[in-house]
Amino acid sequence: MLNITTEDIAKKFGLESVPESVKRLSQLLGKRDASTEDFAKLISQDKDLTARLLRAANPRAESEEDYTTTTVEDALGRTGMSSALLLAMSDPLIRAVHKSFALMLKIELKALAPTALDPLKEEHVLGEVSFSGKAIGLVHLRLPNAFLPLLGERLLGLAPDDMEDEATANDVIGELCNMIVGNFKSNLCDAGLTCKLSPPKIARTEEFKLRVVDGGTSQRYGFCAKELDFFADLSVNPWSE
Amino acid sequence: MSAKILSVDDSKTIRMIVKRAFAPYDATVFEAANGEEGLAASLANKPDIIILDITMPVMDGVTMLTKLKENADLKNIPVIMLTAESGRENVAFIANLGVSDYLVKPFKDDQLIEKVKRVVTLQPKTAAVAA
Repeated sequence: MLNITTEDIAKKFGLESVPESVKRLSQLLGKRDASTEDFAKLISQDKDLTARLLRAANPRAESEEDYTTTTVEDALGRTGMSSALLLAMSDPLIRAVHKSFALMLKIELKALAPTALDPLKEEHVLGEVSFSGKAIGLVHLRLPNAFLPLLGERLLGLAPDDMEDEATANDVIGELCNMIVGNFKSNLCDAGLTCKLSPPKIARTEEFKLRVVDGGTSQRYGFCAKELDFFADLSVNPWSE
Repeated sequence: MSAKILSVDDSKTIRMIVKRAFAPYDATVFEAANGEEGLAASLANKPDIIILDITMPVMDGVTMLTKLKENADLKNIPVIMLTAESGRENVAFIANLGVSDYLVKPFKDDQLIEKVKRVVTLQPKTAAVAA
């Protein structure tokens, strides 16, 4: 009897294989009731996740030499297991942002260092998509208004004036949010966190506050495209069920 | 003969991207903003291929696909899913409904054209005009 797996079907359609970070997230979620020691052991197998956890546990350090928390277990004691999961989830989100910009806009993004995130001081565009199910949370995409002509031109070949039409601009940003968060959500589902997305909500705001969902943790990620900085905020409660 | 392509997506942006991708070819791209409009456009235009999103208001892509397969006149129209949904369980579920191919957003125009060319003959516009 043929034993066709979901991965075989994905291969047939030429879909990318599930990223290692998603497999790691799945393993971490399976350790929900495990001890900090067991959780730490699993994180230690992932060099990148370990580095990001130690960075998060030493927020004031300028470099690794300044770290006062140097082991994964101590870092987990400081940040909590939910924060470690947030870090594990951030990788699929960051990948989705880079991929969307590279494929749809032909822009290679530069990631901004967490210590170099200057707030957007003026009114900017806020795209929000929330997710609910085995995990609850939301993603905010914050783009300066100056970004809109670039988006319209790269995505649809529109003239700068065309993006002054709010309905057109909102549809473009809404679709960008859909692609990014849709990819992210698919990775969450593959990791065992089955959830559904809300339709994107687009607004203009001057508020630059990092929102936190009930019982969750949040993190902001900065990117630079063509000398314009923009941000993706992730807030998640991975233990919602 | 001009290829007839139906793009079903609630995002005008995606429909414009699809339309632009086929601009170099002798193809007519019809548009629909949800599954209900998509079914009506399928009956009216008998497209050679349908490019279908999943998450849409009024009627989603999975419902439209199921209804297409139940309709004797429409069930053989090839369908390519174009969606941000790449979760393995969902892809497997949709594959079992009988889709020709599956493309995950974000995507490059070339990827879409390549997948469409596997099931529909596309002639470059200049060659079609010369013929």
